[in-house]
Amino acid sequence: MRNHSLLGKIGIYAAVAATCGLLLFPIYWMFITALKPANRLRDFPPEFWPENPQWNVFADVLNSQPFGLWMWNTVLVAIATMILSLTVGTLAAYALSRFRLRGGQGLGLFILTSKMLPATLLIIPLFVVFRSLGLTGSLWSVIIAQSTLIVPFATWMLKGYFDTIPPELEQAALVDGASPLGAIVRIVLPVAAPGMAATALYAFVISWSDFLYARTFLTTSESKWTLNMGIATLKGEFVTDWNVIMAASLMAAVPIVGVYLFLERYLVGGLSAGSEK
Amino acid sequence: MIDFSSPRHRSKFGYLLLAPAVLLMALIIIYPILLSVDISMKDVRIARIGKAEPWTLKNYAWLFGSEEFWNAIWVTAKMVLMVGGTALVIGLATAILVNQRFKGRSLARLFVALPWAVPEVVATVIWAWMLDSSFGVINWALLKSGIISEGIQFASNATASFYSVCFVMIWKGYPLVSIMLLAGLQSIPQEQYQAAEVDGAGVWQRFFYITIPNLMPVIGVTMVITTLWVFRDFAIIHVLTQGGPIGATTTLSILTFEQSFSFFRMGQGAAVGVVTMIICAVISRALVSRFANSVH
Repeated sequence: MRNHSLLGKIGIYAAVAATCGLLLFPIYWMFITALKPANRLRDFPPEFWPENPQWNVFADVLNSQPFGLWMWNTVLVAIATMILSLTVGTLAAYALSRFRLRGGQGLGLFILTSKMLPATLLIIPLFVVFRSLGLTGSLWSVIIAQSTLIVPFATWMLKGYFDTIPPELEQAALVDGASPLGAIVRIVLPVAAPGMAATALYAFVISWSDFLYARTFLTTSESKWTLNMGIATLKGEFVTDWNVIMAASLMAAVPIVGVYLFLERYLVGGLSAGSEK
Repeated sequence: MIDFSSPRHRSKFGYLLLAPAVLLMALIIIYPILLSVDISMKDVRIARIGKAEPWTLKNYAWLFGSEEFWNAIWVTAKMVLMVGGTALVIGLATAILVNQRFKGRSLARLFVALPWAVPEVVATVIWAWMLDSSFGVINWALLKSGIISEGIQFASNATASFYSVCFVMIWKGYPLVSIMLLAGLQSIPQEQYQAAEVDGAGVWQRFFYITIPNLMPVIGVTMVITTLWVFRDFAIIHVLTQGGPIGATTTLSILTFEQSFSFFRMGQGAAVGVVTMIICAVISRALVSRFANSVH
């Protein structure tokens, strides 16, 4: 693109400011509503900047019993999903990157299938299976279901990173007497660390955002709910404390938004690379 | 013990590494797909494993004869067009905007796609509050600007509910379009623009004769992804409207869930789901090959 004149520059900044202002207004509104005192929520016209921000709303939400628990469950699920899908995905990606395996092309098909599969269809048989295994109401049901949908994509992302690492590296280690698994763990993984971090975060984001699995498998056991499940239920109640919901939502959004802001380039690279295939 | 480092056993090691992934997929994707087809052909309310039931086409007969199913198809189609079209326009506009050269561009890129990072449930409750019939900021803005004289009942009016769902989906959906189109814009060779400028082509001509044709493959992919996402989405509609009022926002995905887990007619739910899966497969094939053809 060409350099713009002064007038053009002002125009661009105005357009960027207007676009961001409009598109990000809902995020601002969540923040402002969370800080409003309960008796000012239903002001009409609404307050656009709270005169009396209630910062303690966050502590209140966390201290109200189920909320801390839901947050803890969400963290547990996200971390377990991340570990499970990354472990399985790394092994598979390494195999596909280094060996000519029959059926290796099946991976592309899996990614396509898991993208096309209506999740509301998948949960019917999964519910039946998990119930007969006694897994409904357990966080494991959600972890296993999420991991499986993340693994094909994670494998694809990781295979891309492994392909860029010369195989001579681990061959040298094998010659020096390392075991094949040892060569992967000590030689390949450290080199692939940035790619693995990006994939792990992708898994974390997907897991953290899940609602359908939690809604289906955990619905009857409130002590196992995740944040999204809790927020959706609070919203459905007859008397709605919007400041509480918005504070909870803000806390549910912050980890993901943080991940996005710090690692946008990796996530975006992986996303567009994976989806163009 | 097999020595995996010997060349003879190298590929065995490969298959060993692949085994957990294959096992997980087989158990959690392949087997359930087969099981759901099986359930869809059984007259069951709550399906159980290992209970022999005769196969029947009853659920499919119900499906094609029911008004709910055709309504869900219609709602889904409208939603795909509305969300896909609008997300494309916003995504393209924002991508072009942050592709300009200016200071702070990377920050602008970060902010423009920020809604991507907001979990769907969170996005939905924010919009639910903004669209509140009595105290929502959107009704206030519309009243204040004189566009409407009476607050819109977003929750109880069928048309308004449909558009509410679309707003949330567009807001959640445009960032991915923007991110991918930006990557597409960056890969267009600058020489093409320079040559066109030498030939005296204006801004709009360059846009229609260079930018759009070059972006076509990426646009195709993003539209397929967005379409499949609208087809499959559950969280936004379930949290915002639960498919109501009177089916105005009941997509195929919501109908599948409703039949299976609200009415506990899993046979019928699975039938809806299987048909949805087939439609998704056909759409993605048709769109992908069409856009692939338009490039060559």
